[in-house]
Formats: sequence, C-alpha cells, structure tokens
Amino acid sequence: MHMWPARSSLRTVAAIAAGGLVAVGLAACSSLSSSASSQVPLSAKQTIAFASAGLGTEGTATKAAIAGFEELHPNITVSLLSLSSNATVAEEQEEHYFIAGSSTPDVMFTDVIWPSAFARSGWIANLDSFKPSTSEFFPAQMVTGEYNGSVYAIPWFINAEGIYYNTSIIKTPPTTEAQLVSDAQHALATDKSLKEGLAFEGAEYEGSVTAWQSFGANIGLSSLSNIDNPANAAALTFMYDAIHTYKISPPAVTGWEEANVQAAWLSGQTPFALNWPYLFQLSQSTANGKPVYPAVYNSTAWMPFPSSTPQSSLGGQDLAINAKSTHKAAAWAFIQYLTSVSAQDARAITAGDPPSVTAAYNATLYSAAPYYKDETAVYKVLTPRPVTPVYPDISSSVFQPMISSVLSGQESPSAALSSNAATVTQTLATVK
Amino acid sequence: MSATDAVAARSRADVRPRRHLRPGRAARKTGFFLLLALFVLVSLFPFYWIVITSLKTTAEYNQGTTSVLPPSHVTMSNYVDDLTQQNFIRALLNSVGVSLATTILTVLLAALAGYALSRTSIRGKGGILGFILLTAFFPPLAIVGPMFIAYKHIGLLNTLPGLVICYLVLTLPLATWLLTNYFLQIPKELEEAAIVDGSTRVQALHKVIVPVARPAMFTVAILSFILAWNDFTFAVSFISTPNNYTAPLAIYNLGNSQYQVFYNLIDAAVVIISLPVACLVIFAQKRVISGLTAGSFR
Amino acid sequence: MTARKDLLVPPGRPARVARRRGHSLTSQDRRLGHALVAPVMIVLLAITAYPLFYNIWNSFHYADYLNAATFSSFAGFSNYSMLFHADQFVPALVRTLGFTAVSVAVETAVGLGIALALNRPFRGRGVVRAAVFIPLAVPTVVSAELWKTMFDPQSGFVNYILAHLHLPLASTAWLDGTWTAWAAILAADAWRNTPFMAIVLLAGLQVIPQDIYEAAKIDGASAGQAFRRLTLPLLMPALMVALIFRTLSSFLIFDVVFIMTGGGPGTSTQVLSALNYEAFLDDFNFGYGGAIAVAMVVMALIIAAIYVRVLRVERQT
Repeated sequence: MHMWPARSSLRTVAAIAAGGLVAVGLAACSSLSSSASSQVPLSAKQTIAFASAGLGTEGTATKAAIAGFEELHPNITVSLLSLSSNATVAEEQEEHYFIAGSSTPDVMFTDVIWPSAFARSGWIANLDSFKPSTSEFFPAQMVTGEYNGSVYAIPWFINAEGIYYNTSIIKTPPTTEAQLVSDAQHALATDKSLKEGLAFEGAEYEGSVTAWQSFGANIGLSSLSNIDNPANAAALTFMYDAIHTYKISPPAVTGWEEANVQAAWLSGQTPFALNWPYLFQLSQSTANGKPVYPAVYNSTAWMPFPSSTPQSSLGGQDLAINAKSTHKAAAWAFIQYLTSVSAQDARAITAGDPPSVTAAYNATLYSAAPYYKDETAVYKVLTPRPVTPVYPDISSSVFQPMISSVLSGQESPSAALSSNAATVTQTLATVK
Repeated sequence: MSATDAVAARSRADVRPRRHLRPGRAARKTGFFLLLALFVLVSLFPFYWIVITSLKTTAEYNQGTTSVLPPSHVTMSNYVDDLTQQNFIRALLNSVGVSLATTILTVLLAALAGYALSRTSIRGKGGILGFILLTAFFPPLAIVGPMFIAYKHIGLLNTLPGLVICYLVLTLPLATWLLTNYFLQIPKELEEAAIVDGSTRVQALHKVIVPVARPAMFTVAILSFILAWNDFTFAVSFISTPNNYTAPLAIYNLGNSQYQVFYNLIDAAVVIISLPVACLVIFAQKRVISGLTAGSFR
Repeated sequence: MTARKDLLVPPGRPARVARRRGHSLTSQDRRLGHALVAPVMIVLLAITAYPLFYNIWNSFHYADYLNAATFSSFAGFSNYSMLFHADQFVPALVRTLGFTAVSVAVETAVGLGIALALNRPFRGRGVVRAAVFIPLAVPTVVSAELWKTMFDPQSGFVNYILAHLHLPLASTAWLDGTWTAWAAILAADAWRNTPFMAIVLLAGLQVIPQDIYEAAKIDGASAGQAFRRLTLPLLMPALMVALIFRTLSSFLIFDVVFIMTGGGPGTSTQVLSALNYEAFLDDFNFGYGGAIAVAMVVMALIIAAIYVRVLRVERQT
C-alpha cells in the first residue's frame, strides 16, 4: 500500500501548520513592546484619542467639551473612542488596549477605584512632571488618583451616595439611625401606598460595597488590616436588620441595583432611598412644564446616612493618560481643559455630573441647577474606598460575597467579618 | 431491492383504514395538544412581557410596577425613539450583513468539511473533529483578549469583516459536527449512482447530498444566524465606533446610561431586532420540516 | 469499498484515473478530502492559534500585572496548583458540573418532546413551530434580566402565578436562597436553550424515513418500543452533537448567572466562568486566568470524549 502520504495532503497539512505559525508569530513578535517612541510636542498638529462613554447626555456633554477644546487648540483634534456606559464593560474594553500594548487611547476615563491598579500595572502615566494642582479638587477624590506618592489620575467628576428622603412624608429629617428606622416604620404603617421604607442596593456587585460604606462601614486603607471592627459590624447588621428585623426594606433588595432603587424612589413608593446625585436631577425633571415624577418633584432632599459618624461613599470618574501614549503633552492639555471651571459647570448642567473641582460650585452652576446647593451636606463627608491596587480583587472576592451572604442570612455579620479578615490581610500583603 | 422497498411494499398491501379513534387515543391526542399549548405558552409569555414593557413610557417604566396586563397608556414612543436614534438602523443593517455573511460562509465551509469527514478516506478524522471541538471549548472571555491583540496587528479591529471571521470560529465547530454526523447517515448509494452517471464528487455533493440534507443545512443556517446576531461579548470588545455597532451593542447603549437602565427602550429594540430573526426562523423552519419522504431514499 | 472502485467507470469511457502509485483512487479521494476540510481548518487555526497559545503559555508563566517583578518568568505548574489551593475552584467546578448535568438533562428531555411533537403533521404546526423557537430571537442578556424581574419576590410574575394557583413557594425570595436561585437560573437557561435542542433534534428526526414505523406497527410494536428501538438509535448522531454542544455551553455559562445573582447569595452560584472573569478583570492575573481556561477546556474535552465513547458504543449494539 502507500508508505508515503500523497504530496498534496502533505502540502495541505504543511499549509495549515504554516498558517498557524504565521498567525502566532505575527501576533507574538508584534506584541513585544515597541521602543519608547518620542513624544509629539504640544504645538504640533496631531490627533489624540479619548476613551469615554460616547452616547446619551454624557456623550453630548463630552462632544461639547471636545469642541471647546479644539477651538482653543486648533492644531489638536480629539477623536472619541466610544466605550460602553457600563463601568464593568468599559473596564474590559480599556484593558484590551492595555494588554495589547496599544498607544491609543491617549486619554481615558477611569472609575475611581481603578487608577492604583492601573498604575501598578504600568498602564497609565505618572503625571508628576506636569505639576498637577491637587488642591483644586475634593481631597477625598484626589487621593484616588495617587499611587506610591505620585499622581496618576486627575478627578473628572464626583459622585456621592446619600439618603434621599421625601419631604412630603418625612417632615423632619432623622438625625440618628434609630430615628430613621422608626420614621420609616411609621410611614409604612400610616400610608398604605408605600411599598418600602428604605430602598437600597443589595445585589452582589460593587454597589453593595458602596452602600455598606455609606451605612457606616470603616474600610479605609488603614482599617483594611482589620475589617473585623465595630463600625463594619454595625453597618452590616443594619443592612440585615432593615430587611429581616425592622422590615423596612423588602427581601428583593438583595437583587437591587441603582436602577431598581431609582424606580422605587421616583414612583413615590418609598420615603427613604440610598442613591447617587443623578437621582436629584431626575426627580426635579420636567417635561412641557409639568413634573415628570410628581411624587418626588420639589419634595426631594438628600443627606448623609445618620450613622454615628456619617459618611458618604465616594464614586465618580478620574482621567488618566496612557503610559504608552506619544501625545502626552496634548493629552495633558485636554485633561486641563476638562477640569477647568467652565467645562466642569457645562458638564454638570447638561449631563448631571457633579464637578470634581471645588471652585466649580459657583453662582453659574447654582442658577442653572439649583439642586446642587442641596447636595453640599453629603459632599462634606465624602469617603473613598481604599486606594490600593488590590481593592478590585478584595471587593469582588471578599466584600461582595460577604455582604450577600449576610443579607440572605447565610452568615451573621460578626462571623462573616472574622472569617474574612485574614484573606484581606493576605491580599494586602501581596502589594507591599 | 432494498430493505425499505420491501417494507414499503408490504405496508402498501396491508394498509388498514383507521377512521375512528379509540378512546385511549382520543385522550392521548388531547394530552398532546395540552402539552403543546403549555410549551407555546411558556415560550411566548416572556416575549409577551417584553412587548408590554416596550409599550410603556419611561415615566411609567420608572414606576416599577409590574403586572401582567398591558399598560394603561400604550405608547409607541419607544419604538419611534429607537428607530430615530442615529445609529440604530445602521446597527440593524450591520447586524444583518454580518449575520448573513457568517451564515453563508458557515454553511458552505461546514458542508465541504462535513462531506470530507463523512465520505472521504482522509486519515485522522478523529483528530480533526477533536481539534474543531477544542477551538469551540475555550471560554470566550479567555480568547477575546488575545484575539483583540491579534486583530489589532492584522488590522481587523473595529471592522465588520473582522467580526464575521470571529463568528465563524463560534459557528463552524457546531456546524461541522452537525453536518458530518448528518451526512454519515445518508446512504452511499445515492452518491454512487450520481457518480456512475458521470458527476464529479463535488457535483454529487451539490446535486445529491445537499438537497437530501436540507433539514440539517437549514438548521445550521438558523443556528449560525442566531449566534452571530445575538453576540455581544465579541462585538463589544472589537467595535469601538458607533457607526460599526451591531444590534446588540446598539440596544445595550441606547438603554443604558451610567446608573439607569431603560428597559422600555431596550425591549422595544428587542422586538424590532427579533423581527428579522423570527422571519428567518419561520422561513427556514418550513425547509427543516420539508418532510423527507421515504421516496427520496429510493 | 475502495478495492473495486474502478468498476464504477463504465466500459468505453476513458479511465479518469491513472493508476500510477500515489494517484490511485484512494489517494485522489484523500486529496479531495483534504482540500474540502482545509478551509474550515485554516479559518479555525488562523484565528484561534494565537489565543490558544496565549492562554496555554500564560498558564505556565507568571502573568500577574500587579506583580511586575515576576512577570513572564516561568511558573511551572504553580498556577495550576493554585487552582486547588485557592478554595474557589473546586466548589465552583462542582457547582458548574451539577448545574450542567441538570440543565442538559431537562433541556434534552423537553427538547426531544418538542421535536417529536413537531415532527408529526397537525393543523397549526407552523404557528406552534414559530412560537416555540421565539426564545432564540432574544439576546441572552435581555432574557436574563427579564427572568430576574420575573422572579422578583414582590412584583415578579412567578410568585404572582404561584399565588393565584394556590401553589406553595408563592412568597419565596427566589434569588436569596441557594437552591431557589439555581432553580431560577435553570428556568432562564432552559427557556432560552430548549429550542436549540429542539431544532437540532428535529433535523435529526427528519433523516428517519417514516415507513419503518409503519412496518413496526404491522409487526405489533408499541409506540414506546418503536421509540427505543427505531427512533433513538437513528437519532443518535444528532443527539450526540446536540448533547456535546449543549453541555459545552452549560459548562461555560456566565451571563445568565452574572446578571441574575452575581454569584450570590454569597458564592453559592459562582460558576467557573465567573472565576475566569474575576482573574482577568479584578485580579489582573492572566497566568491564573489562563490556567482556569485551560483546565475548563480539558474538562470539557473529557466530557465530550465520554459522550462520543458512550453514544458510539450504543449505536453499534
């Protein structure tokens, strides 16, 4: 029979193998990092890419800002790389560019919990050489952009989590946790149209960690080495009790994210709701001269949760420059424009993103959007989540499952905290 | 005379009229229809839910009430909003193009490969089939990143042809396996008869095998189309400009802003995009159950 | 089969094949085969070669972006041993396998029932067909969110129906308890994927000529016997493909679980793909993530091999 395989089949096999090797080789040798190309000077004609959410009101505000910047710097064009408006998906998208060693995008937005991880991975540029003026921002947010003593990201806009209360139901705001509970219970008992007493985010995602922090959890960087502390236990206990003991929150909150809390609030079914500033703008929105959400229109107020030391979890977005970018000067100029008072105010009015620059809270802003004045109480107690490269890891593998198991009654708060304390300490140790 | 011929001859001679239904049979028939009704209900109800959500205004959607009944103020505004969104129609067309291209290429390539794996004497068929499975079994999450890198260097990033090629990787394994196994069941006599009459192997494939395998070909077409149409993971990673969005990306983006999700808008878009898929399924289904009569095997 | 192929060439026609060594009908046949299978192989190899290589290479090296010191150095099996020490992998594996077994069993049984039902002609079959396949038109993400709403304890449809029909469990907080959460996930998964099984099995049923059933009836076989002895064996090829690919998808399940429970309560619905996701997105550890991916592939291949072995043996008996 045939000892030798037919030439053509050998050829086919060889072709296939060669094709495979070429593909591997192409990609492998191209992914070897390109040599540090020289930086394009600020005055040169160039295009920079900005990665951010590109659709909706945020997109409109971004495009307006780009137009304003291009007017000031006619030699620079900014192209918008449209990322998803969902933060997790956007992070994935940005990570693809980083892993590929791409020099674009030049400027990108980051959620406040990403910069230290990105910085440690060498993906975003050290901004110290540009001498950023760190004092113009809220200190709590400025911290989120720092790593190893240097600045790696600049705050873009802020977000804070606080308790909304409906002033037509709650005449005097509660000043203690116990008072809030009794107010909620009283409201539920007297007004049958109310479905919840307190709406909050309890689904297993990052929002439950910010909720936990807003309810009083002490998870600052220094406290991470011992999460089994009274403040944490108290906050977890409150969240559990709200559902199972005081019965002011429905069991369904263990699946709720911001959108669900928003729905509960805007429909007027709850006197208290924990959420971010965007809800204020939404509550006050009108169409054709009539309020869109009459249940909460002009009866919305916002305050930090009245725990023994009130705090408000910090959210928001920062701006960073790609470490491999060859247009760093132009990128920095763009960031400076975005953090100028006029651009900050414009974005706050159009897209409802609260400015990160303290000076932007001025008369212009208040006359166009008066509700910002009512938000200051919450901003005074801004508390960031721990600024460490392993925070995303700690959050997803420890905090989120822990909160979820406590809320569903699988574990008691103290047991949960003590059993997880060691893991957190170990994880922290990996980045010493 | 083949075995089936003999059987057919006997059955024709021996046929008995079965006009009246025995009682047990009637009960079974009712049971059958009840069960069918249950399937249909369970299948359609969630889709009904999508439709009534799509008819709510944003204000009503934000009320958060969920009830089985249609909303009191039925509105088509979501449909209007979606269709006039700058990129939505464009995204729909992109999806149609990408999905059709994927489907056609899949059916073509898989039919050729399936024929080879079922009717020729190449060696290492098990290895080839196994390799094809291997490519299908990697979690999408694990291959998106390196594919992004590869595409970046080949220049296929943010292109629709790039998406088509990527979807082929998703559709070809199932298609090849399905067609291989299906072809294996088609008697060799059919083909040999054609070859005796003078066709080449490939002509035999085209004229004899493919028509007989129509149910499988259309099944592969439906499944490939749906796979390409509904993909989000790869599209969101490779496409970065709204002009190149496919339908799932567009849907996701028009209904999502930072914290809010507008399911009324999203569901209207889902209804819109499910129309082509539904049409395709109905059209192709007729051919899946085109009825292989016993005659075609003679 | 190959020995007397030359008899197929009728006398008088010029012989199409030279019978030189290397050009016999067998090798011609083989060349044709290679040419026909090449396009699929080339496409798959070209696109997946780098990703496969990337993950396998990563799994044997340190590729933790948060630890630049060791980046790219050889790690041997330490990423793999982390799988067994990290105390997440094995429970997730067990959960994923359990869910896969149950969901595939349920979806196959129901899908087969639907396929059999749709195989018989009856009035209104076209409408029923279209209705049954509609779930495939809905993107997975949308269907997952939809089912999450349906299982909402207060305002969801499931509890509403259960209460109206006076059935138990009408006030369960479905996503709050381990088993009830899995039940909800199963419902969402089955709704979307049973039509897939039905479609594939229906195509498989179409190969079976109807007159063998007539013959069986004449011989006095019951419906059950006809099903077991005739339908099932003839359906085996399609069934095998359907089972392999459905099992594969179930094993890789991610979106539905992520959206409905996020892995909760606690970690009781955390599946393998979620670990993979966390490794890439939260830990920035591509070595560990690569090891998880490779481990998943190896296990999936083993499962597929088991199917092939068992079902091919069945077919031969």
